[in-house]
Amino acid sequence: MGTFSADHAAQLRPGHLLAAELARSQRAAVATLPVLRHLLASDGPSLVSEAVVARVRGMLRDLATQLHAGGRGLAAVSEHAAPEIDALVVQLGVHEALLAHIHTLALESQLAERFEQRLSLDPVLSPLLQELIASDDQAVAELAMNVLAAQTRFMQSQRRMELPLAELPADLFRTALQIGANRDQPGSPAGLAALMASYDEAATRLALLERLVVAMRRAVVACLAFDRAGLALFAQGLAALAGMERAGAIHACHEQQSPRLALGLRAAGLDLAGIERQMLLIAAPGGWLADIAEITPQQARARLGELDAIALERG
Amino acid sequence: MEQAESFVAARGLTDERDRLLIADTPLALLQERCGGSLPGTLAIPELLEQVQHARAIGLRIARAFSAFDGEDMISGFVRINPRGIEAGGGCELLVESWQRSPAAFASSHALAHYLDAIDRASAEITLRLDARQHVQTIGVLSADGAGLADALAAQPGALWSDLIALPDIAHRRPLHWRLLDGAACEVPGSARNWRARLMPIAEYGGGREPLGFELLLIADEPLAEEAALPAPATREDSRLFARTLTPALRQPLTRIAANAETIRARLAGPLHQDYCHYAATIANAAQHLAGLLDDLADLEVVEAPGFTTLAEEVDLVDAARKAVGILGVRARDRRIALHVAGADGTVLARAEFRRVLQILINLVSNAIAYSPEGSAVWISAVTTENERVAVIVRDEGPGISAERVLRIFEKFERLGRDSAGGSDKGSGLGLYIARLLAHAMGGDLSVISREGEGASFMLELPRAD
Repeated sequence: MGTFSADHAAQLRPGHLLAAELARSQRAAVATLPVLRHLLASDGPSLVSEAVVARVRGMLRDLATQLHAGGRGLAAVSEHAAPEIDALVVQLGVHEALLAHIHTLALESQLAERFEQRLSLDPVLSPLLQELIASDDQAVAELAMNVLAAQTRFMQSQRRMELPLAELPADLFRTALQIGANRDQPGSPAGLAALMASYDEAATRLALLERLVVAMRRAVVACLAFDRAGLALFAQGLAALAGMERAGAIHACHEQQSPRLALGLRAAGLDLAGIERQMLLIAAPGGWLADIAEITPQQARARLGELDAIALERG
Repeated sequence: MEQAESFVAARGLTDERDRLLIADTPLALLQERCGGSLPGTLAIPELLEQVQHARAIGLRIARAFSAFDGEDMISGFVRINPRGIEAGGGCELLVESWQRSPAAFASSHALAHYLDAIDRASAEITLRLDARQHVQTIGVLSADGAGLADALAAQPGALWSDLIALPDIAHRRPLHWRLLDGAACEVPGSARNWRARLMPIAEYGGGREPLGFELLLIADEPLAEEAALPAPATREDSRLFARTLTPALRQPLTRIAANAETIRARLAGPLHQDYCHYAATIANAAQHLAGLLDDLADLEVVEAPGFTTLAEEVDLVDAARKAVGILGVRARDRRIALHVAGADGTVLARAEFRRVLQILINLVSNAIAYSPEGSAVWISAVTTENERVAVIVRDEGPGISAERVLRIFEKFERLGRDSAGGSDKGSGLGLYIARLLAHAMGGDLSVISREGEGASFMLELPRAD
């Protein structure tokens, strides 16, 4: 947001316009090579692969289109609205928490597809979820059914690179609506108000997963068997037991983040053998794995907290 | 989008200032354990934060939460639905997966540390003692501690237990400090009950007797505020229920209801279905008794000879909306639509707002209880002839027969109808009290009904000029 206001100030003094533009193009040129090198070098698994970038872009565009429609349904968006939707995409992308959330979703769906190929683990219905649906506990069974439906919708919309507004967590939903309401060309305020009124965070996939894990009570440890729980429940259970954010748990399941996964599993209370078993399923552990046994679960939790603090400072 | 809510463990309702108005037993008990009252400001910090957040962003939110109730960790998942301004501006809380687990303190040492911190923060009188428990300094934060400070000024360096009476401890003092830690005590000049905490100030290295003590005096209840209204001129003994019995009976009743609820919800473990039903019956009975207690206490106030009401300007449409807002959850449970007719500010009465709301809540909750599922209740405010205004609450229930209409406002008369809403919880005092209140405000409460045609209750009040 800072650069926007700086540009605006520069426009008031015409002599600086060229200088500002030159500085910007220089920054862009300098940034090109590292990004390109990263994309080229990581042909295989990477936290920022072309596929992930494409999905992030697709989801941002889908959100922008929905905001433009303002609750009127996508059919109401005319073909001439493209420039305005482009502008909304830029504004949404500037918001860091929103971008991070969307990136995590892209990563989650990509990882889920990869585990489907490698472990024949269905990205929607895992053995554990199937068991939960058949649970004697009515609350658990009902939530598990809802999770199944939400997870199906999620994987389907990921394939189409879409993200319904109503699936965003409450704070991000509000951010997106504010961006939508601040346009030069205000859409229908009534439409946005209707979107707000029908929003229910409890019905989002992420809240349903959390509700299910809370409803499982002590049985939540069952989530830590990756090949039974599947990525979505595994990450949710790991987050609950290790005291991490769910997004952090998803990232930890990426090949490049295996030390963080080991730390998370330790914080969740697994012993070395248990950690090793999970690591072999998810990401090949390195020689450092034996060191994990030296760390107590409390220490592991503290280390994770430190890592998050560092990430926050950089952000 | 609507989720089945069969597994909601507790519901609650807050108003626009985050006061908890209505709460199911587990939530009410947690509120009490966290030092709050019902109704009263939401005292569970973890929930208060979420409720404030939901109100600020105006969206329905859903979060896992955990709270410490003084003994155990309570955890669950809470859904918070902020309600619009027209419905009172508060929030509806739905807690799922209520779970109680031993407090997750890393060690008993950590727990002791936590409790010490609470006591230090809540102590209203703090003293420093030397190794022989003689007072060195005193710090007083509350008005009723001044007596102790004065007594100390008269006898500097006195033994603390000579100044402060310890009713439970008969021994001659000084006793070993461990025996005195946590003792109940009486502070001169204060009517409240106090508790003493003796915390040793240890020499570095430890192992020997402490160098001195930190003595914290913690009151069991807050200092009563000066009554805002002049005390009514009634004899002391005529207020038996309101003054003494209600507070004394309320706590055991809440406990019975809470424990029965715990058994019913199988929170403590699996249980045969029949026993769950018995527990539900116990919980219902306890709630009924608690309601009766409230009514009796109310009755005593209203029947007292000096009882008067305020004469303020009351917007009847606004009052009706507030009553509907408070009872919205109950109505939704029975799929009954509540309709309020009229615009704000059009019908103004001269009466006491609190009492008008009390009467309306009584009328509307009766209407909800006696209407068939899926029907509607209509509430309208009108201006009648001869300088009076009225609120009419009309239901689509089975109606009341002519002979029962005559007796309906009598003491302990239970409407004579079968409540469609399951177990009948009325004390038979609600309408009697409502009519007394209406009379006290210079108005009247009447009913028009024929069997099979629903009932219309009319609250008439003097019009505001």
